[in-house]
Amino acid sequence: MNRRLAFPLVGLAVAALAGGLAVRAPSFAQPAPAAAPAVKNPFTGAAAIEQGRTLYNATCTACHGANGDAGEMGPGLATPGRSYARRTDADVFAAVKNGISGTPMPAHAGRLSDEQIWKISSYVISLRGTAIDAPSPGDAVAGEAIFFGKGQCSTCHLVRGKGSVVGPDLTNLAAVRKTNSIVNALTKPGYRTYGAGGAIPSRLEPLTTYPVVAVTFADGRKVRGVLRNHDSYSLQMIGLDQQFYLLDRRKLKAVVYEDQSLMPADYDKRLSPEEFANLLAYLTRLTAR
Amino acid sequence: MRALNALLAALVVLAPCALSGSAVAQVSGPDPLGQPSSAEWLTYSRTYDGQRHSPLTQIKPSNVGTLQARWIYQMADQRNLQATPIVAGGVMYVSAFNRIDALDARSGNLIWKYQRTPISTGAQRGTGIWNNKLFVTTDDKHLVALDARTGGVLWDVAVADGRTLAGQAPLVAKGVLIVSGNRPNGFIQGYDPTTGRHLWTWSAVPEESDPAYKTWGGQTPEGAPIWVSGTYDPDLNLIYYGTGQPEPQWAGESRPGDNLYASSVVALNPQTGQLKWHFQFTPHDVHDWDALEMPVLIDAAWKGKDRKLLVQANRNGFYYILDRTNGEFLQATKFVSRVDWLLSMDAKGRPTADPAKAPSVEGTYVCPSTAGATNWPSPTYDPALKMFFVVAQEGCGINLRDSAKPFAGTGYMESPKDREDWQLYTRAIDAFTGKILWDYKQVRSPHYGPGLMSTASGVLFSPEEYGRFTALESKTGKVLWNFNTGAMLTASPISYSIDGQQFVAISSGSNVIAFALPEGAAQ
Repeated sequence: MNRRLAFPLVGLAVAALAGGLAVRAPSFAQPAPAAAPAVKNPFTGAAAIEQGRTLYNATCTACHGANGDAGEMGPGLATPGRSYARRTDADVFAAVKNGISGTPMPAHAGRLSDEQIWKISSYVISLRGTAIDAPSPGDAVAGEAIFFGKGQCSTCHLVRGKGSVVGPDLTNLAAVRKTNSIVNALTKPGYRTYGAGGAIPSRLEPLTTYPVVAVTFADGRKVRGVLRNHDSYSLQMIGLDQQFYLLDRRKLKAVVYEDQSLMPADYDKRLSPEEFANLLAYLTRLTAR
Repeated sequence: MRALNALLAALVVLAPCALSGSAVAQVSGPDPLGQPSSAEWLTYSRTYDGQRHSPLTQIKPSNVGTLQARWIYQMADQRNLQATPIVAGGVMYVSAFNRIDALDARSGNLIWKYQRTPISTGAQRGTGIWNNKLFVTTDDKHLVALDARTGGVLWDVAVADGRTLAGQAPLVAKGVLIVSGNRPNGFIQGYDPTTGRHLWTWSAVPEESDPAYKTWGGQTPEGAPIWVSGTYDPDLNLIYYGTGQPEPQWAGESRPGDNLYASSVVALNPQTGQLKWHFQFTPHDVHDWDALEMPVLIDAAWKGKDRKLLVQANRNGFYYILDRTNGEFLQATKFVSRVDWLLSMDAKGRPTADPAKAPSVEGTYVCPSTAGATNWPSPTYDPALKMFFVVAQEGCGINLRDSAKPFAGTGYMESPKDREDWQLYTRAIDAFTGKILWDYKQVRSPHYGPGLMSTASGVLFSPEEYGRFTALESKTGKVLWNFNTGAMLTASPISYSIDGQQFVAISSGSNVIAFALPEGAAQ
């Protein structure tokens, strides 16, 4: 399944960099691979993660991006929706210490102490938790009613085939987004995150954003909807009528990309604090499994 | 036995004569790299001058619309190839670190493959050929020469001084094999292509004895990586290479001064490695604006006087024209819409950087972004139209530091503002006035992207990062043809001909795709 779900959000990285990314999944839910060495990270916890962050930013960001995003040369280490071959602290430790053969990833043995590498590993793993690792407290059943009722979320979004297909399908939301990212999407206008691509996308990916586009056909007919992809010659969109429009750009009279996202960003105002908490409880439990 | 050897030797000599157009390359006599046949693509930029302009004219604006994919070769185990293939004697050589695949350039069929362990998918941009020798850069500090006919190893040497080669395509100039790299710091080296003997090393970070050492304020010079090939002027006997950024890249206070020879272009003697001149585009660079963009050599009248020029569209947003005999600055013009990092530029091309645009803890908004107004993808120059074509990146960015302390961790990102997403354009510039003549927007392609190739028929091949291979009319930018290659495009196209049939080829993802006009089409 396509797990490259994303909101039309701007600035996760800005917010995170300005404030320091404080989110840490209390437990990393994925089981360790069977082959992983039974080496335990001696440097865990908030202080180690914080020191790891500093070390990471001083050592790794020439290639990898800050806060787990992709960088100029290296891939994202905590990109939502991406699965990782190295999933334990020990896996990351080995990669940093010894490098990864056949890739530009160099060995850091001799440049960094084991203690420093363990702290970097703690930090990298801490970046990877998502909402489902620590679902938000509240009444998820009441939250579901808000999703399909007062909140009008389902007029754009789909959960397990129920709702609308115009916006991102949220069925697996809690497995690919952090709780603070969900909160930001509900409360910050124009909030968006970056996809797995980072500075150098390595393959042709679908759009990770949902910009609004309005096209005018040669006969004057207009369709407005959400862009799903485009290139120099074609355009793929879902109209507000929930139909696909797969178009030849050169046959269109006009293509207008709108600035405003369709996503309301005032849920902290249009809902009571209790309703908001319940909605969040629901959203942070949404997984495809 | 002796008779048998003599017979075999005779066969080897005779074999090329017995075959038609696709004879095995027999490179000898005058330097073919200096006067390449229009049918071949013998070095990274086709010619020493870096113009990437193919003289072939069979594919032209009136028929390019019928261009067809003729073959696809999948380079198994590779990811996004950044290599420009080369073509010699009808054979195409496609490279990666530790590897070359030799193909029949007409059919795409594999002839031989050289794979030194391990398989590497690091960014590698090409190989070089000289006197039937192909040169392989490895990712474990070796340099290898292969026999171009068999893929067999001729020599395999450890890189001198334990340095690590970057993925640039080797260049042969004046019979010297030139390679470069990033680690431990930027360097260029010369080797004897026949034996692999190391001849010289030029370091882009100065030794204490070099006056340039003083431009680092007491800090040990670091950085200035060199990871793209350069150009060569056989008459002046100078090679021209761009150099990368000083380190630490976004935190400059620990290295007060200009930080030579970082973010510069340098002119060296290929036989000795001696520096003839340098020109620094971005003194004391704190934006990671490597100057690895191709230094293109043009001979032309400049203000009424014939001059030997070197032009470069630099990552810092300016299109520079220099005199390549001595590095004299002649002109700089902005080639992207927003350039806000400097307060002024003097008559010698020296900028005064705006200190308010240095990276900061809260994040500094700066144009162009660290990704640059352009990057390593090759530009191309059409001498008939006097037009310089460049992959221009519009967009600003934010440069950050982890703390205010020296050696702070740093990073950069795209501007988060609405409507300021990074966007690539294929841009035509008047090569001498710097005026922007036309623009083609590469929808969905944000940064870097593949390079360009112009042809003498007036077709500009403009691959797009997001997989579309497009042909434009050079003069106007009008779209003539496009093809969805189905994978990221991160390399520059080439053109060659076999038995009178012109091909255009490009790497796409892990594939190489070759295009030609339909069989039997009126040509």
